[in-house]
Amino acid sequence: MKKVKSERVKRTEEIKLPQMLDFYPLEDEKNTRISLFFENLKEHRLTTTKCNSCGKLLWPPRIICPDCMSDELEWIDLGSEGELYAFTEMRLGAPLGFAEDVPFCIGIVKISGLSISARIDNAKYEELKIGAKVQLKIVELEDGRVFYRFVPSK
Amino acid sequence: MRKVAIVAGGATKCGRREASWRDLVQEAGKSMFDSVDNISPRDIEALLVGAAQPERFTFQVHVAPMVAEYLGITPTKVIATTELMCASGQAAIRYAWACVASGMADIALAFGVEKMYMRDMAEAQTNMTCVLDREWDGVNGLSAPPFFAMTAQRHMFEYGTTKEQMAMVSAKNHHYSTMNPIAQFQKEVTVEKVLSSPMVSPPLNLFDCSGITDGAAGVILVPAEDASKYTDTPLHLIGSGQANIGNVVNNLASITEWVPLKLAVEETLRTAKITRDDIDIAELHDCFTISEIMEYEAFGWCEKGGGGAFIEEGEPYIGGKVAANPRGGLLGCGHPLGATAILQAIDVMQQFRGEVPKGRLVKDAEIAVTQNLSGAANVHSIMAYSRSPK
Ligand SMILES: [Zn+2]
Repeated sequence: MKKVKSERVKRTEEIKLPQMLDFYPLEDEKNTRISLFFENLKEHRLTTTKCNSCGKLLWPPRIICPDCMSDELEWIDLGSEGELYAFTEMRLGAPLGFAEDVPFCIGIVKISGLSISARIDNAKYEELKIGAKVQLKIVELEDGRVFYRFVPSK
Repeated sequence: MRKVAIVAGGATKCGRREASWRDLVQEAGKSMFDSVDNISPRDIEALLVGAAQPERFTFQVHVAPMVAEYLGITPTKVIATTELMCASGQAAIRYAWACVASGMADIALAFGVEKMYMRDMAEAQTNMTCVLDREWDGVNGLSAPPFFAMTAQRHMFEYGTTKEQMAMVSAKNHHYSTMNPIAQFQKEVTVEKVLSSPMVSPPLNLFDCSGITDGAAGVILVPAEDASKYTDTPLHLIGSGQANIGNVVNNLASITEWVPLKLAVEETLRTAKITRDDIDIAELHDCFTISEIMEYEAFGWCEKGGGGAFIEEGEPYIGGKVAANPRGGLLGCGHPLGATAILQAIDVMQQFRGEVPKGRLVKDAEIAVTQNLSGAANVHSIMAYSRSPK
């Protein structure tokens, strides 16, 4: 019987976070037709689309209206101040890419008739209150992408 | 439409298993086929596999043919995976039922499997954070615990529901699961222990949350008129309901009232020709303690906002208004996503057959429902079962 060989082969132990495990969307016009949302964020404006045909305010922003199938949408400013409808704090069970932020607060923010989820920065769970005012904040990732968060209003 | 019955079921032990996804499939398959004399794998014409995230948890897609291969099944009528996150197994039963009811297949297998323990649990948590819309909700850290934490906070704020009432749900279900040999959790958990367990996402402590679980299970469905060929004690499918409203947080019907569940309940009662008071056993989706409290309300066993008082008054225990989760629920048994609804169905069958331990037996039960929510509780799926043909 021939001798069976054994050989140790090399594999990378550490792999950079793969793009599809990055929670943030691809934001430029090559990757999405709502890139204006992110362009507006860079100018510190939180916006969304509104249907010109039926008047429905849509969140998240999109390219057609699900209520009437119109693609005549316009961009609307949502303002920069909202109100906390609910909130909690991530203490255990954070996903990859979030661990270094733990603990961090998450809320549902009422703003211009919408209820959107968002990170609440500069806050401790014990110090937040339902109904408290929160102010828009923009965060910028290392690669230049941007996203919205809120902080408690002073 | 033909009437349909489940004639066999089998499952793995659930929990943190020292076994692969493929091992779990084989264990559950053997347990199921061993339990019935006149059905062999080659008889299965339709195979539906409830699997929520095999591509993330085990890096494998196209898993229905893999289940078929490992269990010696060669489907000739229907084969597919059904994904509806936490209700993936309920979706498998639902499609298998439709296949048999419509005449498309005469013997269908609804199978469910999930391997959730990973070498790096942060990766498992990552998988659970793309359930809600990843780019608009998940990106904010909104996995299940924070979402249901905010649901609980609002329910407490609006209706005065207490942490103690929520903890009672966990204590009840863990009590029943001590009498379920395949349950993940085998120890009693007191209200005090729930309240003093580590905080996951306030107001939810660790024992307010169902676990990460490995497990698999399968049930075989045939036309009810053929059921006696295989067993004297089939489980009859008598009705069902399913509804979805919205997906991202902004588009939910409500945070504190599960409107799609109310719709699914109405549809279930209508199709099964029963009233909510006819239900003896309810296997509810207690992914979190607050979920079960809101489900008492949506089923209409108590008034809106009265779910906390409902358990405080002893109503959802065996002997109360309805026996809620005498199996041990997701809190006690674990929640292997794709397998959960199948495990619920098997336990109902064993209840009707009188095969469960006395301490969690619902005597003379005739009607049961199994219910699953998925996502941000924007989808609800229910199946109604009876001991006797209807
Ligand atoms: Zn419109």
